[in-house]
Amino acid sequence: MAPTIRTEHLSVSYHRTPVLHQISLEAAGGEVLALIGPSGCGKSTFLRALNRLVEETPGARVEGRVYLGNMNIYAPSVDVTQLRRRVGMVFQAPNPFPFSIFDNVAYGPRLHGVTDAGELRRIVERSLQEAALWDEVRGKLRRPALTLSGGQQQRLCIARALAVDPEVLLLDEPTAALDPLSTEKIEELIANLRGRYTIVMVTHNLRQAARISDRTAFFAEGRLVEVGWTRQMFTAPQDPRTEQYLTGRYQP
Amino acid sequence: MRDQQREKVIQSVTWGLGGIFVLLGFGLMAMVLVGAWPTLAEPHALARLLSPTWDPMRDQWGLLPFLLGTAVVTCLALAIVVPLALATGISISRMLPWSLRPQAVRLLAALTAIPSVVFGWWGLETVVPAVRILGGQAGFSLLAAAIVLALMLWPTLGFLFAEALMKVPRSYVEASAALGASDDQTLVRILIPSAWPQLMNAFLVAVARGLGETVAVQMVIGGQVAMPAGLLSPGATLTTQLLTDATLFPPGTRGHAALDAMALALLAAMGLLVRLSARWQGQP
Repeated sequence: MAPTIRTEHLSVSYHRTPVLHQISLEAAGGEVLALIGPSGCGKSTFLRALNRLVEETPGARVEGRVYLGNMNIYAPSVDVTQLRRRVGMVFQAPNPFPFSIFDNVAYGPRLHGVTDAGELRRIVERSLQEAALWDEVRGKLRRPALTLSGGQQQRLCIARALAVDPEVLLLDEPTAALDPLSTEKIEELIANLRGRYTIVMVTHNLRQAARISDRTAFFAEGRLVEVGWTRQMFTAPQDPRTEQYLTGRYQP
Repeated sequence: MRDQQREKVIQSVTWGLGGIFVLLGFGLMAMVLVGAWPTLAEPHALARLLSPTWDPMRDQWGLLPFLLGTAVVTCLALAIVVPLALATGISISRMLPWSLRPQAVRLLAALTAIPSVVFGWWGLETVVPAVRILGGQAGFSLLAAAIVLALMLWPTLGFLFAEALMKVPRSYVEASAALGASDDQTLVRILIPSAWPQLMNAFLVAVARGLGETVAVQMVIGGQVAMPAGLLSPGATLTTQLLTDATLFPPGTRGHAALDAMALALLAAMGLLVRLSARWQGQP
């Protein structure tokens, strides 16, 4: 059962400039939570706070708590590498390593100590199947990952994230750099992954949020304005700012 | 109309200068080859050139002591400097606080500009006595030359290594971290493999500088033409011997031809390096 991920009064600042204020938000186990909002509203920072990747940015400061299941991930006893194993991430632009397809997917398992060739092959095959890429790359696993098309590269990145058996998937505008057909494939894939993983996805594509998310959270100027069932929010938003944003009239 | 004419003039000047450059390059190689010809054309040329005895009085022109000196000093210097420079590059590109990185790079760049004679002078004052105390011999030695050369190459190689590592896309580093890699794992599995061609190229630049360095090495190596008995014994390299004997043998003499052969060996080694570096850059 995929775990819940929940933030309590989460605030983030870069070099003392606050970018997120007191966000309390929860993604229930197995659901798809979409984060929408104008550029620079802090959605990506929020996502990066959920696997502590935000700490890699110079000058970043995090306050508040984030719970994965019952564990506060910012507690001093937490091992970041173990945490990131449980919380996988896919980035906006496909970023496969300049290695072969196989080595990209096997990268995570190898990091965590899998050396057996047979087991690695099984993990790679399973992950590529789960990411709906297997049929297109079987028999070509030794080819450089950078020879794949953009959409294939992004599915490869999803397979790479799945290969370490995460429980939560963070997707940062996963289709922003892709053509409509590739976008459709990724959306289909996310729909299939729903339930097995808790998915938090940032998107600028409102129709995408409407199509594939269970719930949607609307961020503006570093604050959480509104969160609710996607269908409800898109038909009857509570906050006037949400309505303005959904109808393309939002002025910060 | 005038513009076209001007363009034509500029074009011919460019072509002319390019032509002079090519001519000079080939001319230099041809001159060295022609000059070395007397040593290359005689019977058993290779055996005589590779003999271990350099004794102009007895007409013995073996280059082996210098070939060996060059090889030993360069290899030893690289063995010392590569780990140091890699550590420098990694510290600057990964470990130093972000705000200090540009200053550190600038400092290294400034250090690369120190003339080699300063390194030689400093080596004469500190490295040679240190080797004398520790090794119990004269101090002027292949080891002292290698240490001075290594310290001379350190800023350049550290700078180039840091540049190569900083060029690796941040998205690779983030993807690796997001999969649960520690900083060390990201360094070994992502940064070094991704930067490998640039790192190799930096290494070849260091090899070329090491092979070609003359003054700093000459100041501490001892200038001995006999086969070196060990790292602590004095010796000579192709470049230092060329410097020493350049004024000794007038053109046309047998000795002059031997020096030309030394220059040819250096040219050949450099040519090989350039080829290698092109290969590492993925060019045919």
